[in-house]
Amino acid sequence: MVEHIAWLAILVPWGTALYLALQRLVHPVWHETREKGVGRVSMVAALIPLVVLLILDLKTWMLGVVGAVLWGEWFGAGGYHVQLGLMLDWLGLGMATLMAWISLLTIRFSIPYMHREGGFMRFFMILNLFNGAMQMIVLAGNAVLTFVGWELAGVSSFLLIGYAFERAPATRNANRAFITNRFGDAGFLFGIFAAFTWLGGVDWDHIWASVDQVETVGATLVGLGFLIAAMAKSAQIPFSPWIARAMDGPTPSSAIFYGALMVHAGVFLVLRLEPMLRQTPSILAAMAVIGLLTAVYGWMVALAQSDVKSSLIFSTISQTGLMFFWCGLGWFTLAAWHLGLHAGFRAWQFLHAPSLMDDLDRPAPSAPRWLTRWPRLHTAVIQRFWLEQVGDAMMVTPTQKLAADMLALERQVLTPLAGLPAHANAISTLAQWQDHQSGVLPSLGYSVERSTGLAGNLIQNLANILYYFEENMILKGGGSGLLQMLLRIGKRLTNIDMLLSQPRYLLFMIALTFVIIL
Amino acid sequence: MGICLNLHYLWGKYLSDMDKLPLISLLLLTFPISAIVLWGVRDPAKVRLVALAAVGVDLLICLTLLGGYRSDVAGFQWMEIRRWIPSMEVYYRVGVDGISILFLPLTALLFIGTVLASWNRVQHMPRLYYTCILMLKTVTMGIFCALDTVLFFFFWELTLVPIYFLVSLWGVGPHRRYAAAQYTLLMIASGIPLLLAFVLLAVDHAQLVDGRLVGLMFGLPELLASPPSPHFQTWLFFLLLLGLAPKIPTVPFHVWLPTMAREGPVVILAFMTGLKLGAYGVIRFLLPLAPDAAREYHWLLAGLGTAGLLYGAFLAISQTNLVVLLAYASISHVGLVLLGIATMNVTGIQGAIFQLLNFSLMASGLYFLTGFLQHRTGSTEAVNLGGLAKSMPFFAAFYLFFGLAGLGIPGTSGFPAEFLIFMGTLETHLGAGLAALAAMILGAGYFLNLFRKCFFGPVRGDTGGSVVDLGGRELVVVLVSSALILFLGFFPGLVLDQTAASANAWVDLMRPRIGGLPQ
Repeated sequence: MVEHIAWLAILVPWGTALYLALQRLVHPVWHETREKGVGRVSMVAALIPLVVLLILDLKTWMLGVVGAVLWGEWFGAGGYHVQLGLMLDWLGLGMATLMAWISLLTIRFSIPYMHREGGFMRFFMILNLFNGAMQMIVLAGNAVLTFVGWELAGVSSFLLIGYAFERAPATRNANRAFITNRFGDAGFLFGIFAAFTWLGGVDWDHIWASVDQVETVGATLVGLGFLIAAMAKSAQIPFSPWIARAMDGPTPSSAIFYGALMVHAGVFLVLRLEPMLRQTPSILAAMAVIGLLTAVYGWMVALAQSDVKSSLIFSTISQTGLMFFWCGLGWFTLAAWHLGLHAGFRAWQFLHAPSLMDDLDRPAPSAPRWLTRWPRLHTAVIQRFWLEQVGDAMMVTPTQKLAADMLALERQVLTPLAGLPAHANAISTLAQWQDHQSGVLPSLGYSVERSTGLAGNLIQNLANILYYFEENMILKGGGSGLLQMLLRIGKRLTNIDMLLSQPRYLLFMIALTFVIIL
Repeated sequence: MGICLNLHYLWGKYLSDMDKLPLISLLLLTFPISAIVLWGVRDPAKVRLVALAAVGVDLLICLTLLGGYRSDVAGFQWMEIRRWIPSMEVYYRVGVDGISILFLPLTALLFIGTVLASWNRVQHMPRLYYTCILMLKTVTMGIFCALDTVLFFFFWELTLVPIYFLVSLWGVGPHRRYAAAQYTLLMIASGIPLLLAFVLLAVDHAQLVDGRLVGLMFGLPELLASPPSPHFQTWLFFLLLLGLAPKIPTVPFHVWLPTMAREGPVVILAFMTGLKLGAYGVIRFLLPLAPDAAREYHWLLAGLGTAGLLYGAFLAISQTNLVVLLAYASISHVGLVLLGIATMNVTGIQGAIFQLLNFSLMASGLYFLTGFLQHRTGSTEAVNLGGLAKSMPFFAAFYLFFGLAGLGIPGTSGFPAEFLIFMGTLETHLGAGLAALAAMILGAGYFLNLFRKCFFGPVRGDTGGSVVDLGGRELVVVLVSSALILFLGFFPGLVLDQTAASANAWVDLMRPRIGGLPQ
């Protein structure tokens, strides 16, 4: 099975990433002279996938499409089994070859670009991790393996956006991007579950084959899960804002992640699901609407951007919006061609962005005249239609408020009930401790006699009652207290007995009994 | 290749030699032996060597147990039965099955990490310290091996002794004594329903002959074979749940854990969050002993799981202290495990066991790292940290790696575990499953935000710029854990194969029975 060499396209970059990480561990002191070695290793790691994929392309071209290639089971339990399989059809192979080619170019570009950067090694390590993840997304034979690549691409994107971790905005943006993408990941997992439940498996060919027998509800749920994932990764409305924040990374990473490759992963997922999505008109309609909205949004916002990378990225999401629109209309082939051409072009544009200022002899163009004639629209465009603020108001603020409420519950109700030292009382400095000791602040007083908490108070009250009993009844007068009380109780009981033996009370008791029984 | 084959042959021969030995008893005996040796040594430098040797021997025994364990057979293996309290028909009965076997080597590994992490940190009474550590280790292994309810209870309560002393004597917070006392009281109180449940269960199987109870049943295999009447099971279920809840911990019995995190030594936290004994107790005792009641109240278990999952995650968002954050994260994680258990299907339970194993690597790794940090900077508060990734790149990298393993990123052992739990839960409890997906997003939020505050940005604090990165011994501790996390992330089948047969048997136990046979 010569097709198994396709695994090399995934494993070689990952292996290189691990190798670089171990290298870093073994030689903790970085020296500039090692840049060459790291660059060379990364180049080889990018070249091998390309060669492997070209061989497979040639073979497929001459001998026909192989389709699914199975290696064995990865893991599984109960009814959920995940195969180690690849899907080597023209869509997967074509994308993979394109990605391998762009990755190679980017790595070549990055070697001089990252020269004398403190995080040189880290950058190439993450880039390799990302390349392998991207290949995994496009070559995977089932949804779970695609998810593996999907998540790892997200992690490497997080690491590269926050590449300059000394700068607070960079890391804040990295977190924002990752957390936004987690929404998509949750959708993806739901899609996988729905595929297992309604379609009976997650292998792509299985999903394609079983759509005819499944009812629309099941297919729609599967499509819904995957659509959320695709929208988050490809920065469609309402997930768009994260991608503008992602521009904080070094330029080559922006090129490869958001210009060329990762931003298209969502479109690719949709293309993969083509036969299934054709059965779900509602998902297609939603896709067309969202795609069109995003295309218009990206186009308008791009008009008012003043820096190169921002205007490029908004133009990018406008293009991915169009791809979604084509898919929604059922023109999947057009979307695939659009994807390929756009990826190549945009990669070049992004890589060119740093030197663009040198090549141009005029300042960045301002917003077009027709837009400035509509001041409100202009404001909206400059504010990027407040999409991020809306997202904050809808998701972030309620979450934080809820968290604050729960913290209050924990501190004011549960902790005192358990009788544990309150958070607010926790001492953080020696001076505070001395204040407590000398009586400036109230004494901490966790003494043996003082109880805290619900259980503690219950026990203390019980102890007080028992103490009273012991003190007054038993100890006082050598137990005569108890004797006197018993005599008193006895006298009371005798009185009650005498009362009860009188006829009127006897009748009353019988009547009462009847009332209770009936 | 030749050497490899030779080693393989030698390992096989070694295993067949060891087959006849009572290995579990040997495992439990390492504590008294090593304690005697320990108290015969005066030099503190040698004391820790003795402790390291003891846990090393344990690891070897555990690996031997694992090597000789036949994963295709579901029942208990390496069984040993000896008379203990004949008049009450209590036996010393130990053994392992697929659910418990993998916890043993990981416990040994965790305690090796503990000894290495406290290597030169303990100046004060090192002999008592290491005695407590070794005792805790052996008692924990006893919990995993015990197949008799009385023996289990014995080990269960015995954990309190070393924990009390470790927290009150070597804790870091000002209220450590108080926290230790409260923890001990809480756990003793929760032991009462547990003991009551076990006694009632034994009496339920006994008959009164000539004024004497005959046939008291404490052995787990026998108890599993003859579940009590459904009505009694309900009582049993709630008593056991009440007894186990604080240890799991479930909301609202969780409050001790954050307090403990603030006051206690981090190695204890690594133990408490790494080995979630409460969740193990639920899998081993609560559900199989009362299967009908568990099926009836599955919603309660799933509800407790969801509550813990969301509550822990929401509270973790507002934390500014690394150790407290990890405590709340642990509450959230164990909620996920409870959800997996509540599914009562093979997918969920396999995921839950895998997740517990993953936590023993990942949570303990995070706490060990936090301990190293505390030792360097004297604080784990975000206000005193910041920019540490600059001066301690390895430290930050490993911290992030363990954190990502907790988030279930593919490539780490967290992914297959979380994946299986999600699938199992969505199948049986759709709402809880969706809540778990939401908690997945929250998890990324709370972890990455505090990580960012502590490790990224400009250098803050007095010591932030000059701290040294991880050293040799510390690197060994985290490297072993991360290598295992990575390895199991890529080859999850190794774990799932070990647990599969027993998990299937466990699910069969939970099925409704007619005429004593699973339907």
